[in-house]
Amino acid sequence: MSASKRLTKELADCTTNSPPGMHISLPDDSNLFKWHVILDGPAGTVYAGGRFGVVVQLHENYPFRSPTVTFATRIYHPNVTNDNLGNICLSVLKPENWKPAVKLVSVLEAVRNLLVEPQPDDPLEARIADEYKNDRKEFEKNARAYVAQYAKGAVNWEKAEAGAAAAAGGATTSTTTNTTSAR
Amino acid sequence: MADEELDNPRDVELESLEAIYPEIQKPKPDDPYTIALDVPVAPSKEVIVFFPAASDDGTGPAAPQRSAPQREVDSHEIAHLPSIHLKISFGAKYPADEPPKVAISTDPPWLPVDTIKRLEEDGPRLWEDIGRDIVGFTYIDHLHQAAEDVFGLVGEKNALEVNPQHKIAILDYDIQARRAAFEKGTFECGVCLDPKKGSACHQMLDCGHVFCIECLQDFYNNAIKEGDLAAVRCLAPNCTRDREKAASSASGKKKKPKIFISPSELLQIPLDQDTVKRYVTLKYKTELESDKNTVYCPRQWCNGAARSKKHKKPRGLELAENSDDSASDDDEDEGHIEGEGKSKPYKAAAELLSICEECSFAFCSRCLQSWHGEFVRCTPRREKEELTAEELASLEYMKLHTTPCPTCAAPAQKTHGCNHMICYRCQTHFCYLCSAWLDPGNPYQHFNTMPDGRVTSCYMRLWELELGDGDDVGYGFAGGAGQAPHPVVAAVPMQDLIPEIEEPSDEEEEGPPAPAAPARPHEAQAHGGQVGIAREGPLVLRIAANQPAGAGRGGPRGRAAPGPAPRPVRGGRGQQAVRGGAQVQGGGRGGAGAQRGGRQARAGAAAAQRGGGRGGGGGGVGGVGGPLPHHRQNNNNQANQAQQRRNVNNDPNQNQNGGVPGGGGEFVEVGELRGGQNELDPAQEAWVRHFVQLALNDEEDILFEDDFSDDD
Repeated sequence: MSASKRLTKELADCTTNSPPGMHISLPDDSNLFKWHVILDGPAGTVYAGGRFGVVVQLHENYPFRSPTVTFATRIYHPNVTNDNLGNICLSVLKPENWKPAVKLVSVLEAVRNLLVEPQPDDPLEARIADEYKNDRKEFEKNARAYVAQYAKGAVNWEKAEAGAAAAAGGATTSTTTNTTSAR
Repeated sequence: MADEELDNPRDVELESLEAIYPEIQKPKPDDPYTIALDVPVAPSKEVIVFFPAASDDGTGPAAPQRSAPQREVDSHEIAHLPSIHLKISFGAKYPADEPPKVAISTDPPWLPVDTIKRLEEDGPRLWEDIGRDIVGFTYIDHLHQAAEDVFGLVGEKNALEVNPQHKIAILDYDIQARRAAFEKGTFECGVCLDPKKGSACHQMLDCGHVFCIECLQDFYNNAIKEGDLAAVRCLAPNCTRDREKAASSASGKKKKPKIFISPSELLQIPLDQDTVKRYVTLKYKTELESDKNTVYCPRQWCNGAARSKKHKKPRGLELAENSDDSASDDDEDEGHIEGEGKSKPYKAAAELLSICEECSFAFCSRCLQSWHGEFVRCTPRREKEELTAEELASLEYMKLHTTPCPTCAAPAQKTHGCNHMICYRCQTHFCYLCSAWLDPGNPYQHFNTMPDGRVTSCYMRLWELELGDGDDVGYGFAGGAGQAPHPVVAAVPMQDLIPEIEEPSDEEEEGPPAPAAPARPHEAQAHGGQVGIAREGPLVLRIAANQPAGAGRGGPRGRAAPGPAPRPVRGGRGQQAVRGGAQVQGGGRGGAGAQRGGRQARAGAAAAQRGGGRGGGGGGVGGVGGPLPHHRQNNNNQANQAQQRRNVNNDPNQNQNGGVPGGGGEFVEVGELRGGQNELDPAQEAWVRHFVQLALNDEEDILFEDDFSDDD
């Protein structure tokens, strides 16, 4: 089945029935395979008030291949790399856990959930995870500082492009490895 | 009658009934007023149907009882029972004077007779109730409603008992009806998000999720093609995980739930035969590979896996499940398909006997040889490079305490004496310190000033290590072994050396060059070659005449035989046949009491003989000694023993062949005499002959019983 057909549907779904706290757009109207999502920091969290750019990069074999989701905005979070790549550790996105019947909306929901409820036991940034577990105050202070520094105002998508591309490459590699080992 | 009237109530009724139930048939062409109709029995709630044990078969369609809990053996949840066939005849006097004639039947006759009777009587009763008027629709509707609780047959437990003889028909009907209902439905495929007709969809057998066939085919074909077997599972998010959780919480010890999709379901989807075949094969392979205990066929061209109870080779497209409940079935299968699997003593030698799945080769999983029966002791096959600790120790010892012959690389260990050595195998003269080849005409020049005034590194070292080399002799001087067989004599030009090596005995006195042990340079690899050499040596018992008495050379270990007594000494026995066979040849080997035994193991007896040569005969050495008082090669005992043992293992044939003297190309030289002075005395000679005879019969142990009780 064709990936673009499903993406059209999903996009239509998202635009008519926009999930709360998210604004979804296509950077290039002719390219369904890259989505820009602006995620509002969930209220009641340290990220509240921030606007986080999230890039969703889709494989041509989507939905058979998992999408690559990265933060374009820097964020201080145990499960997001603290760099320009903004890689996210999210189990549904791991190739071995990916199921084609998962919709992008639910992926984005999961990302949003990660902001509400970080998973320090499965961290990408061990230091931040430690801090989250052992020194919550310091963590919150740092996270707020990041929000203030990076997540206010318009999302700078360009900066994230390079990172997203690199991340997509990485994801492909890991998929290949996975396949090989399964043989 | 007033049949011609247009508003004949029968016609009106039939017309409206046909409009409501378009499936109405008229089974009798000549009677338009008889209609037939199927009333589906689809209970509002799924009914649990019991099929009690077939004990009450004879009574015909058993009267249904409210579920008999003590016999809840065979129960199924059924959503669709076979529909009832309803036939109604509206007679000429209907509706005014005659009730409709109703006949009800089921196929198979699962509905009890009295229920049918009751339903049939409902027709006239209703006709009466509504005042003898048209009752057709009322009655059919009544049946429809009654069918919702299966005509009152199911109780509060929602259970229904049906004669087991209708079981298959009822189950079949249910499956077909469900399928039909499914195909009529519309589903949104979770992958392509398109709404699809049920007929274009597949419902997962285990979890009930529905996807469109197109997406499933795309996904599974791709996954199987890429070998990503783990992906071949339900595509719904979290589906398998939830099921795993549910199963593990339901019963802790139950095995993992089946999360992969069975090949038969893949075929139902449908996938290609070839794809499913690949899936099955890959699955089997990964299963085998992930099991460390898998034994593979030792035949190199085959390499199939041995049959195992845990992993069944898939037959056809069915993936044999390694679950408990299927185990019994599989065992039966096994018995039928390959009877040989059962006839073997499976239990007793269960761990050892393996049968290749692919080529049916029966082999021992320990030694990887073809199956030898369960009473044979065997040892695991070793890699070529692999050595036992014992062998390693031997090698280490030989490295430290032996010097290889520069010609044939046979190692020599000096037990005592000077450093001028003569190889037991090829009679090469060489230096014990540096393994240099020595001119047999003047071997001592090596330790002296050369004619041209130069000196070797061994200058003035003839008597170093006089007490011998080895842990138990000498002081651990690391022989010359480390220097390999390359002569390090600076003074001797190569071209001089070569011809002399080729015919070393020319310059020797009489005696023909020992034919038994020709130099085999090609085998001369440092220490490694010994085994091969030893094994290949022909049987040669060269029993040299020994000096009687004068056993001054008994050797530091005092193994000397008591004087001239022919009785060989234990020490000799301890030595290895071949190498021992070499023994020391007395100075210039003239009177050397060397006997050679090409034979292994048992031929160790020959070694014993040699031992005699060494001990008692050692005297010979000394006696002949002439200018060379001491040299002796000794082999280290460890190595010998290890090797001996191995030889015994390796060469069972050798042990058996020797029965006939001269048989198998082996020959024996008894009492080759060298030099008049080395005559054996008659007693000795007689003993030697006796011994040789025994040795040929493998009975020589008799002679040494007291000494060699530990002989293997």
